[in-house]
Amino acid sequence: MAKTILAVDDSASIRQMVSFTLKGAGYEVIEAVDGQDAFDKAKQRTFNLVLTDINMPRMDGLKLLENLRKISQYQSIPILMLTTESANEMKAKGRSAGATGWLVKPFNPESLLEVIKKVIK
Amino acid sequence: MTDEQYANNEQNLCITDDSVTESADAIYNPEAEEFFLNIKSDLGQVDRLVSEAVTNLVINFKFISQLTKSHYEMVMAIEKLAIPDGSEPIIELLRKQMMIADKIEHELEAAVTSLQFGDLVTQLLAHTSNQIDVFNRVLQRIDRHSSWQSKDKNMTDLHDSISKAIQITRSRSKQKPVVQQAMHKGEVELF
Repeated sequence: MAKTILAVDDSASIRQMVSFTLKGAGYEVIEAVDGQDAFDKAKQRTFNLVLTDINMPRMDGLKLLENLRKISQYQSIPILMLTTESANEMKAKGRSAGATGWLVKPFNPESLLEVIKKVIK
Repeated sequence: MTDEQYANNEQNLCITDDSVTESADAIYNPEAEEFFLNIKSDLGQVDRLVSEAVTNLVINFKFISQLTKSHYEMVMAIEKLAIPDGSEPIIELLRKQMMIADKIEHELEAAVTSLQFGDLVTQLLAHTSNQIDVFNRVLQRIDRHSSWQSKDKNMTDLHDSISKAIQITRSRSKQKPVVQQAMHKGEVELF
């Protein structure tokens, strides 16, 4: 059975590129347009991995990360941040909020799949 | 400049968060307002053009990707049909077709990285637009308070006022969300 990944980004083109890459590698992908949409979808089912942007309307990626970590079934699910942000203080915030890893955009399909393969359960 | 110095500047100019954010209903200089609105409009135009281009490119990308997949499957099917006869020229042609399919696939993977430029551009434009907005409000506020058009003011006062407006704008602006200078793949870090 294919593992399911929740891909969160307010940019339609990024969502499409992420989906293209992950579906091509055999993963099932569900897309969310912002943190709130992702949080609603995550409450309905448990994903094997969450890949999220940071700068988004309604609920940003860091808030989504904090909210997901409060839900018992998401305490050990890998959550990767995929963002344009590369400042160390932002990474530190992500790390302390429970992020599994940090990928700076633009991503390379090979690297993305490599990281996901390493951390997905 | 330290945060304390910024705060002092704002106090000297009688600028508070409220006065800056609520200044829109008391525009002193309509020419400046129009000028900044035009810049924001131009940035919006760039954003729309880029977004439309990205949307079209993604459609092209998906179409090429589907064609490549169909092409690959067709070559595989023809290969199966050709193998029993052992026709070497046909097998060689199919091998070349497979190499072309592999190259297209490789280029498509590279395009996945390049096609993310739209997101980076949109974020940079939003950041710049926000800075212009804040700068406009701060300038309008300074304009009302300093009345630099009065005869007893000189160019130094004008220069100081503009410098203060820039300093306040910097202090109000969020950190630049995109520092990438090229479309190379970004770094990866596992915690």
